[in-house]
Amino acid sequence: MRDYPEEELAALVALAWLPGMGPATLLRCLHEVGPSTAWRAASSGRLGDVEALASFAARQRDSTWVQTMVDAARSIDPAAYLDRHRSAAITIVVHGQRGYPDRLLNDEAAPALLFVDGTLDPLDGPVVAIVGTRNATRLGCDTAAALARDLASCGVAIASGLALGIDGAAHRAIVGESDKFKSGDGSGRPVAVVATGLDRAYPRRHALLQRQVASRGAVVSESPFGIGPLRWRFPARNRILAALADAVVVVESRSAGGSMLTVAEALRRDVQVLAVPGHPTSPAAAGTLDLICDGAIPVRDAEDVLVALGLGGKRPVVTESRAESGDRLAPLHASILDALAAGPLTLAQLVEATGRALPEVSTALISLETAGHVTRSGSWFEPRASAPRGRARGRSAP
Amino acid sequence: MFASIPSAIVLGVDGHPVTVEVHVGRGLPGLTIVGLPDASCREARDRVRAAVLASQATWPDLKITVNLAPSSTRKVGSGLDLAIAVGVLVASEQLELAQTAGIGFLGELGLDGTVRPITGIVPLVDAIDCTSVVVPVACATDAELVEGPTARSVRTLAELVSALRGAIPWPDHDRPSQGGSLESVLDLADVRGQPVVRAALEVAAAGAHHLLMVGPPGAGKTMVAERLPGLLPALDRSFAMEVSRIHSAAGRSLAGGLIRRPPLRAPHHTATMVALIGGGSDAMRPGEVSLAHGGVLFLDELSEFPPSVLDALRQPLEDGVVRVSRARFSASLPARFLLVAAMNPCPCGEAGRPGACRCPDGALARYHRRLSGPLLDRFDLRIDVMRPEVDELLGGRPGESSAEVAQRVARARDRAVLRSVRANADLRGPELERWAPLSDGAQDLLAGVLRAGRLSARGLDRVRRVALTMADLAEYDGPLGVEHVSTALQLRADVRLGAGVVA
Repeated sequence: MRDYPEEELAALVALAWLPGMGPATLLRCLHEVGPSTAWRAASSGRLGDVEALASFAARQRDSTWVQTMVDAARSIDPAAYLDRHRSAAITIVVHGQRGYPDRLLNDEAAPALLFVDGTLDPLDGPVVAIVGTRNATRLGCDTAAALARDLASCGVAIASGLALGIDGAAHRAIVGESDKFKSGDGSGRPVAVVATGLDRAYPRRHALLQRQVASRGAVVSESPFGIGPLRWRFPARNRILAALADAVVVVESRSAGGSMLTVAEALRRDVQVLAVPGHPTSPAAAGTLDLICDGAIPVRDAEDVLVALGLGGKRPVVTESRAESGDRLAPLHASILDALAAGPLTLAQLVEATGRALPEVSTALISLETAGHVTRSGSWFEPRASAPRGRARGRSAP
Repeated sequence: MFASIPSAIVLGVDGHPVTVEVHVGRGLPGLTIVGLPDASCREARDRVRAAVLASQATWPDLKITVNLAPSSTRKVGSGLDLAIAVGVLVASEQLELAQTAGIGFLGELGLDGTVRPITGIVPLVDAIDCTSVVVPVACATDAELVEGPTARSVRTLAELVSALRGAIPWPDHDRPSQGGSLESVLDLADVRGQPVVRAALEVAAAGAHHLLMVGPPGAGKTMVAERLPGLLPALDRSFAMEVSRIHSAAGRSLAGGLIRRPPLRAPHHTATMVALIGGGSDAMRPGEVSLAHGGVLFLDELSEFPPSVLDALRQPLEDGVVRVSRARFSASLPARFLLVAAMNPCPCGEAGRPGACRCPDGALARYHRRLSGPLLDRFDLRIDVMRPEVDELLGGRPGESSAEVAQRVARARDRAVLRSVRANADLRGPELERWAPLSDGAQDLLAGVLRAGRLSARGLDRVRRVALTMADLAEYDGPLGVEHVSTALQLRADVRLGAGVVA
């Protein structure tokens, strides 16, 4: 990167910031004429001088877009803007230059540059993307966390989008365990690919998590500072996520969720897609069951993912043991857990399902909650992954 | 040449006596009203003249001055018409002073001399210090509810004049039919299944705990709320009188006699601040919160109410009274009600079900930000109401009837009265310590929940109050057990939805 002229870099970063500038146009500017030439054309308003910009302008049905871009270009100083990134210790890697991840280099929609907070070392080892719905069930979050933890313990880097729900649960599980998996080669670290500039956090309540991920691994974005959560940038982010991963694991998704876009990007790039099966009646499992029907590899635990990656010899350090089926549960507690197996239920539905009186069910629920087998989110009761099951969950010998 | 006639006006929910003084003397013919009349009161001038002329009486072609004393308070409405007309007739010597002695007059006049009904007849009659009061015939039933003055009802001014002269006896008109007395009470038996909802409703009625219902459209939230008044004990005589005064002051007819059943008010979410809280014009009309006094205020679609309106509810919820102050006057309007609110869990209607709700996180946050924490904190009970299963709707057995539940509620209320509060919801810190001791098991349970950060100190008091009501309903003495506290905890579902937040 040091080889890349400072002036060109500043121009490239400034171009990336321009409203309406997409990844493809940026990449053409980078390789066809060089960023500083393109920047001069943009800031002088002579878009026609650069073919990439000219074809961008020609595509715009509404000419005000072009004017917006030119006005924006005149409003900032590329050198000062670059300095803002530098002073925040953001690494910038440029397509075709040193430091740019190999995984993206030959991608069909490679980003022209990436902003990195942290280190890209985790990408040297195996990478698994764990993605899923923002509105996840507690069980889904627990599953994502367990997968992330077990895979990380085997040296697999965990990539995700830092969204609410599954994404956050996967990363939170491995940043929380401070130095447990810190190995010299950077494996088993978190990599977050976000859609906004790195000076922002979206959702805002993941700001702390974003800092934690950056300090343990890397937070990556193709958006420069100041770019907020624009709608088109989220699917664009998903393509980078898919391209960086060796395998994509979908933990929970509705049939038409954002995770499905990541899956589509992964399939286009021949990245393996795995999915965690759920109960057929659960809307949260509809998407993952669709994927499994379409040929995705079902995931029961981290071992299934390791086998898919060709790392079958490794054994995860199991961090949390499930209570054995031998645990004696009161019959009412057991029937509550059975009822919850098909998906979240409300208090009224549980009273209905168990056929017992409200005080009894309430008392049982409180003790299940205290024991950590059940959790309540809003009106809904959900089982935790740690809840004992009726059947032993063994695996047949290979 | 001079007459002084007693009448009254209503401000807020109280009547205030007004003396109508009429002077007829030489000068430019005409009628002037002084003593801060408002527009409708000043228009009495023309109504009274036409009514007198239509009643075979003479309108004096002299200077007539009407003074409404005390002249410092604003006079509102048309209820003084009748008193002014009688005053003119006395002052112009068409009636003798002795013929009107000890009689108060209330009523609006039509141009043809008919006496029209007016609002607030109960507080008005109550305010007049006379042996008898003349009221419009349509208001006679309401006027008779007031103990004290004899109510005389008249249909027209001509009839009144004849009766005053002694030419005819006081007319005995037929009362308007009392259709409202067979008030049908909605029965709880109609609610099929829904054990949690029924339990919450019973607890709300027994302990006067405010209730918030969260559930998708069509889950029957309104149906449930409508059945709550049927579970509450009937109002006693003095309370019924207080409630009846408020309803009368708000212009509602008391055709069914005193209001003995706790009222249910369900204002729409487009209601303005004044409509809900009261005040507004110079009459300081009681708002919906006062009309719900002694009964239930049901706010459907709680999150659709403007936040400012909801925040204005906090004071009456705390004090049981609304104080409306205006530049010239301030009124205290009673407003002790049981608040029942209903809302959708989220805009998509999936009830925030984890994994199924399609609402973007931002939309949910915006939806819930409309409800202020302090208001949500007032609800001791927060429950979820889901759509009942089809089998239950069609084949389910009817549940317990309102009458059975009401008996348990009444017994529980009796136990609360022994603690010298109206209901358990009124118990505060030290009283709660005294009346709601915890068993060891319950103590441990609450300690665990507190330590896990799932309950605040204030929440703890609420759980104890609700648990005490549960024990009362079960006629259970002794320290509160685990089952009471557990149920109280579960009936306090958090409204803020966990959807998407869990990670």
